[in-house]
Amino acid sequence: MSEFLDVLGSTALYATAIRLALPILFAALGEVFAERAGLVNVGLEGMMLMGAFAGVIGAHYTGSPWLGAVIGMLAAIGIAAIQAGVSINLSGDQIVVGIALNLAVLGITSFLARAIWEGGDVPKVDGFSAFSMPLLSGLPVIGSILFKQSVLIYVAIAVAVFSWWVLTRTSWGLRLRACGEDPHSADSLGIPVFAYRWKAMMICGALAGLGGVFLSLGQLFTFSDNMSGGRGFIALAVVIIARWSPLRALGAAFLFGAFEAFALRVQVTDIDVPAELMLALPYVVTLLVYAGVVGRSRPPKSLGREYSRG
Amino acid sequence: MSRALAGRGDTVMLIVRTGVALLGAALVGAIFLLLDGVDLAFAFEEILNQSVGSSFAIKNSLIDAVPITLVGLGVAVAFRAGIFNLGGEGQIYMGALAAVLVVLNLSGLPGPLLILLGLVAGMVGGGLWGGIAGGLRSRLGLSEIITTIMLNFIAFWIVSYLVRGPIQDPGGAGYPYTEEIPTKAELPVIGGMIPLGAVLLVVAAALIWVLLERTRMGISIKSLGAGEAAGRFAGLKVERTGFNVLLIAGLLGGLAGAASLLGNEGRLSDFFSPGWGFIGVMTALIGRGTAIGTLVAGLMIGFLTSGISGAQSAAGIPTATAQILLGVFVLFLIIVNTDVVVRYLRRAAASLRRAER
Repeated sequence: MSEFLDVLGSTALYATAIRLALPILFAALGEVFAERAGLVNVGLEGMMLMGAFAGVIGAHYTGSPWLGAVIGMLAAIGIAAIQAGVSINLSGDQIVVGIALNLAVLGITSFLARAIWEGGDVPKVDGFSAFSMPLLSGLPVIGSILFKQSVLIYVAIAVAVFSWWVLTRTSWGLRLRACGEDPHSADSLGIPVFAYRWKAMMICGALAGLGGVFLSLGQLFTFSDNMSGGRGFIALAVVIIARWSPLRALGAAFLFGAFEAFALRVQVTDIDVPAELMLALPYVVTLLVYAGVVGRSRPPKSLGREYSRG
Repeated sequence: MSRALAGRGDTVMLIVRTGVALLGAALVGAIFLLLDGVDLAFAFEEILNQSVGSSFAIKNSLIDAVPITLVGLGVAVAFRAGIFNLGGEGQIYMGALAAVLVVLNLSGLPGPLLILLGLVAGMVGGGLWGGIAGGLRSRLGLSEIITTIMLNFIAFWIVSYLVRGPIQDPGGAGYPYTEEIPTKAELPVIGGMIPLGAVLLVVAAALIWVLLERTRMGISIKSLGAGEAAGRFAGLKVERTGFNVLLIAGLLGGLAGAASLLGNEGRLSDFFSPGWGFIGVMTALIGRGTAIGTLVAGLMIGFLTSGISGAQSAAGIPTATAQILLGVFVLFLIIVNTDVVVRYLRRAAASLRRAER
């Protein structure tokens, strides 16, 4: 028992939690934009996976993780464009399209990895390593939790705060939310619903792609088949748990990062818990928390419904 | 939603479309094979031979078709109700787990009884996993898209833990798998050609057809697919039907796991399923959500998979190219079915609009 407390009391746990929360956080923030505009984007998982894959390809061929990140985001935006085109313009069922894209990306990425590298053995690439903030990293406790992290951590927090501001404090955000609540009224007020939904989906693709990029370039420095491992779906649950708020998503994503980090940290102690069962923990927690909050959160009114004029 | 998928007289079109897809895949595949310097005529002949050329080849092809088609049937039933069963993978693992536990622990029983109990246990294991998703959906309103995916990972890690610990084969040199099942528990192969799993497949497809087209529950499944509001208005117990289809999907997924365990794999490992759960989703989509369509699509994919993997070494086809061939075939199958996908999406949208009013 005291060993469990040791794990819970270690700063390394929280530093790891933040690192592991990041991909989920980026994806969840993207999904908040999409869902606030009325689009359920089940393709989130595929967008993350594509971002992770294209990020590694980019970093491998350009030698720069930053260019890799840009390429990863662009590739994920490409997937988002398909999702947007079919679900917004062709009134396709958003969920069917998302599922199809997930399957397609899973197939394409593992296939391309094999086509490029013999046996799908993707080499290690340069990624985003931790960066010690001068002065601040020397602070006790929070120094090693907050200030010895990849720069993308600060980007993520900034994006969360900025998203909150944009969605709740600007007229652009108000119009975007109107498209998710009542697209007919929004349209009658002259708000171009399709354009807003497209923008929301592009933002979603970019952020989900960045989440995927961090998974490959910020954590493992390589790509493996299906490496998103359901995180896109965990992010979908995070959005519901966070009740469609970017700031609450920050907290909810950290919670999941913490459980994943706990599962990993316990392995390096003397505590005799089977590794495999610990690795199932984040998924169990997702189910439980999701079950606990679902009745009490109200989604945007027109979420998941296609919109057509007339 | 359901009408677009249920269209009768589609069987002829299905064969025509599949033929076109096969031809397209062969043409594109030929380019890759030529790039690899493979003797084209020999490669295609060999693929055909390994797929249907002998009773041994046919047996192997049918064995490949069993899990994806059974899972596909479960996906199709749920799909007709507008519910997305992405939990095939978890249902397969839980089904195979239950089956292996029963078969290894009751190995004193006579063979036929052991097989029967193994298959039933598989359905119970898979049904439990599908039922959890169904219960969470109908009781609490949780999206099955999220819950089935989470349950997949949970099932995988449970099996992974068990085959590396409590039920690991003590004589297996540390490999993550269980002991092999006794020979008498293996599914028989009729006449050296028809594995019992394939018989199960046809029976399951027939039962699903009857369920969807000839029963009251089939009507509620299809009207649920046409829009929940409409279903509720017509006095359907929507929650109940939602639970039922996920339970049925789970039973079929569990049966897929048990049938593969007893019919082919012989032991459970944590690399038991090479993604059958998701290939099953594609099988159901290609089969347009009907029982017969899914059966035909599953057999097609099974025969091609088996043909290509069998021909690989003889014809000198690199593994990557073998995967390209299969991928291209599935891609073509989806392309020739796009009109249905689009029609289906349009109908879904229309039914939603009706439901709103």
